[in-house]
Amino acid sequence: MFTANKKVDKLLTLYLPLTMLLSFTIFPIYWTLNTAFKPEGDIVKRPLQYMPINPTTENFVTAWTNVGFATFFKNSLIVGVSTVLVVLVCSTLSGYALSRYQFKGKRSFMIMLLCTQFIPRAMMIIPLFVIFKNLGLISNPLSLIITYTAIEIPFTTILMSGFISNVPKELEEAAVIDGCTKLQALRFVVFPLLLPGIVATGVFTFIYTWNEFLIALMLTNQQSKFTLPVGLSTMMGEFSINYGALAAGSVIALIPAVILFAYAQKHLVNGMGGAVKG
Amino acid sequence: MIKKKMTTAFFALTMATGMLLTGCGGEEQAATKTKKEAAKSDEPVTLQFWDENAGPARTPVWEEVIKRFEEKNPNINVEYVGIPNSSAKSKYDAAIAADDMPDIGSVQTTWLPEFSIREALLPLDSHFEKSDISKKINPSATGVNKKITQDGKLYGIPYAQNLDALWIRTDWFEQASVQEPKTWDEFFTVIEKMRDQANNRYGFTIRGGAGASFTIQRAMFAYSGLDFFDKNGKTNINDPKHVEFVEKYFSYYDKLTPKSDITNGYKEMIAGFDTGVVAMVHHNPGSYGEHNKALPAGSYKLIPLPTTEKGQYVAEGGNAVNLAIFKSTEHADEAWKFVEFVNSEEAQSYWNQQTGQIPTNSDVLDDKWVQDAQHIKTAFEVYNNPDTKLYEPPFYLPDYRAILDGVVDPGVQAVMSGKMSAKDFLDEWAKAIEDSKAKYDQTFKK
Repeated sequence: MFTANKKVDKLLTLYLPLTMLLSFTIFPIYWTLNTAFKPEGDIVKRPLQYMPINPTTENFVTAWTNVGFATFFKNSLIVGVSTVLVVLVCSTLSGYALSRYQFKGKRSFMIMLLCTQFIPRAMMIIPLFVIFKNLGLISNPLSLIITYTAIEIPFTTILMSGFISNVPKELEEAAVIDGCTKLQALRFVVFPLLLPGIVATGVFTFIYTWNEFLIALMLTNQQSKFTLPVGLSTMMGEFSINYGALAAGSVIALIPAVILFAYAQKHLVNGMGGAVKG
Repeated sequence: MIKKKMTTAFFALTMATGMLLTGCGGEEQAATKTKKEAAKSDEPVTLQFWDENAGPARTPVWEEVIKRFEEKNPNINVEYVGIPNSSAKSKYDAAIAADDMPDIGSVQTTWLPEFSIREALLPLDSHFEKSDISKKINPSATGVNKKITQDGKLYGIPYAQNLDALWIRTDWFEQASVQEPKTWDEFFTVIEKMRDQANNRYGFTIRGGAGASFTIQRAMFAYSGLDFFDKNGKTNINDPKHVEFVEKYFSYYDKLTPKSDITNGYKEMIAGFDTGVVAMVHHNPGSYGEHNKALPAGSYKLIPLPTTEKGQYVAEGGNAVNLAIFKSTEHADEAWKFVEFVNSEEAQSYWNQQTGQIPTNSDVLDDKWVQDAQHIKTAFEVYNNPDTKLYEPPFYLPDYRAILDGVVDPGVQAVMSGKMSAKDFLDEWAKAIEDSKAKYDQTFKK
């Protein structure tokens, strides 16, 4: 009796909520996949088809070749990877400084970093446009990399300083006593322990750059320089939407994020959970 | 040793990133250089063209038009930039503010007054008067474009016009033995008659989300037949006739129209019609392509919006899309050649046929496809009817669009959700228009 009750409890408190949550999360992805593999005529047909009756890869071919997703994908990758590299280097170093050193105005500096996160992105568009126009960087991925880096660094610096604070200072000191220089202690002692934090920060930054739409649209005046979200939005005209190609494009856009999460999942959970404990 | 390795790795990473970034920049610098060098008239010229309504239906049509233009003008290269409709105005705003505009842009009529006041556009009067297209383009459409700008100049050449109408499911009407609505009373009766709970069908769908302001404004004036302003310059927005109409129109929400209407944008509204949920939808000929894909031929058609009590059709003046040349262009003559080509019989016929819009070039009217296309013919019947009344909204008010987006759209939702009365909503809308007009009149000493 007791076992039966325990089973019911588990079902009601664990499996049922989890199944509901999973269905809620998975359904849009399932529907996107379902749409991506349907021929155009079947997409809005009634009764609805819950599985493609005439499956086709035509939408993927259209999205990749005709609509130019290959170019958008490449552009997004360049912007995403470059931003992650710059953000990781800068935020690790500045996070280390914030965590390990005491200096005048440190608290105010942290507050200023946080305050930058409250500035609405839309307010920055025209000043950014003017700056990059004067620098000759409109329609240049560099303008996006610089902007995304500037937007991401304050938050990731605070994030990294938290991770670094969790690495006991004594470990570094022990390494220095054993003959390491400061940089060697960082390289061989701190960084390996920081890996979950670095992965979490990298993934966080990459996902932001991968999905960002407004700034990418505003700073790009050439079709061939559009990133994926901007490219995807051109699939939705005022009077027409190519649902098939849009769904196929979304699946294509999902792939790197899914691969990244699958690879980084373990580190990400550790990283978000607070890295190493002392 | 380790230190050396680390230093090498750091420099390699920096160099790789630098090379990647420089690689990206090189192409752009070259493009800028080419643009400047091409300023000499005998050398190839590249024009940048922004499409304010890019999408799977229109982008390939523009690409074909551009291809045909380039074949006829081998020295002119047109670079197409498609902008999603929902962000197009913001994109133009940022470009104008930063003085980095395209050579040519497709712009909506409502934007012309604001862009001209911001001195972003080139007046096209002299080019237009000298051109053959001046005899062909619908004079009422160009007339509206002149009338709405502060200096009375022509800043945009309309290449397509539009008309609000009703798409109806003719097969359902036949099954239910219901006649097409010709008056607004009949329209409301049809909504009631076409409600079919057993089949989960509704008679009509209300646009309550993005763009609701356009729909309600055009429906209101089609009902009343009033001008936008009365003789004393006071707006008729909150006229008792409009209050009466808006009260009745929104009283059908959630009773005889779907609950989801409150967030209905274009996509949702058209999807409701195309997936067999609603019998009538208020839109324009532009959605023909979507219906054509989703519904069997002969099961739907376009009918004009119902007439006023006096039996008069009402249409909104300036419901058009235009080509404008931006002041910053270094190639005004070449840009005009493109504008002229897009407005030629050949290009307008092709573009409008493919997109389901109404041509403005009179030569296109005799084309066979116009005669065969029921939706285009219906639109022409309204425009060509001598009794059709054109009301002219004050597009010239710089706040006009902001009022529609910021006051009217949320107001529609407030009325639909019962948080505001129709009268309060229309009073608020009228006040916003009158305040804006007073400011405008004061600024330009009218």
